[in-house]
Amino acid sequence: MGITDFIFLGVMLGLVVYSAIKSGAKTKKALTVGAKQFWNVLPFFVAIFGLIGLLEVLLTPKQVGAWLGPQQGLLAPFYAAVVGGISAGPPAAAFPLGKYLLVQHAGVAAVGAMLISWTAVATATLPAEIRFFGAKFALSRWALAFVISIVIGLLMAWILPLMGWSL
Amino acid sequence: MNAFAKWSKQNWLLYVVLAAYATLAVAHGPEALDAATRGLTTFANLFATLVGVFALIGLVRVWVTDAFIMKHLGENSGWRGLAIGAGLGTVMVGPLVGVFPLYESLLAKGARPAVIVAMVSTWAIKIAMIPLELSIFGWQFTLVRNGLLFCAAFVMAPLMELIIGKDWGARFRGAAGEE
Repeated sequence: MGITDFIFLGVMLGLVVYSAIKSGAKTKKALTVGAKQFWNVLPFFVAIFGLIGLLEVLLTPKQVGAWLGPQQGLLAPFYAAVVGGISAGPPAAAFPLGKYLLVQHAGVAAVGAMLISWTAVATATLPAEIRFFGAKFALSRWALAFVISIVIGLLMAWILPLMGWSL
Repeated sequence: MNAFAKWSKQNWLLYVVLAAYATLAVAHGPEALDAATRGLTTFANLFATLVGVFALIGLVRVWVTDAFIMKHLGENSGWRGLAIGAGLGTVMVGPLVGVFPLYESLLAKGARPAVIVAMVSTWAIKIAMIPLELSIFGWQFTLVRNGLLFCAAFVMAPLMELIIGKDWGARFRGAAGEE
């Protein structure tokens, strides 16, 4: 649990207390509605986190690195978005991996695309997204996020040298 | 349809994941255990946050009026609505899956689908991760990456609205959780 989680929980607790002061009955209803929803989606959450565990073990950062070396050439941002998109590791794990890849002479476009798709594409949670919002929404968003990861990667490779950036 | 069949249909993924674990356990026992431990750790870390999210869902249901959501995040909220959505997305914590039910209830209260898309898009910006990114890549990289990601929300939202159609949000109206 990071500091933001505690801030969030603190704010939530404050809101619940404030709500209880304003109306006990309404607060009770709010918490019942929340608990009921939580109970309904809990099995699905268990499945999603099981899936995340599987992907973490089967797709290690080292493997990801091996696939995204400089030998991939112009297709590197594309591969990077695919790999980033299906990985399910914590966001914090993506940054050290990105640095490792840059040191290994991977391109900025590839590393940028990987970092974006790592959090933006969200393949592991796609079944949940379909469940809540339907296949049309989920699959379109998923595909768009994939394309946008590559576009942003390419834009970064264009803008960053202009700013004189280097690692 | 009986209750168990309905439950199974809703939670089909549970069966798929269990089957995947069983297969992995037979092939590589230790790896399956490792995966289960990692999944469980992630879940345990986020459990408190998830509880908070569902408390928030309940509070939104009870206190926030449909008219308020309609006005600020609804059909006529325009670019301002999108900006609010994009801003809210960046401060969301936890996994995306945790906030889906919250977004669902916002849709039920009349939020414009494009605003939800903007929120989902900027979810990829992790405010909490910015210090880490700064220390590893420096400010130019962090600024350009997160800046472009934020702008992308304003491209994603209208595009998605075009793909799924403006009426897509109607199916959620008053549906979720109004018992």
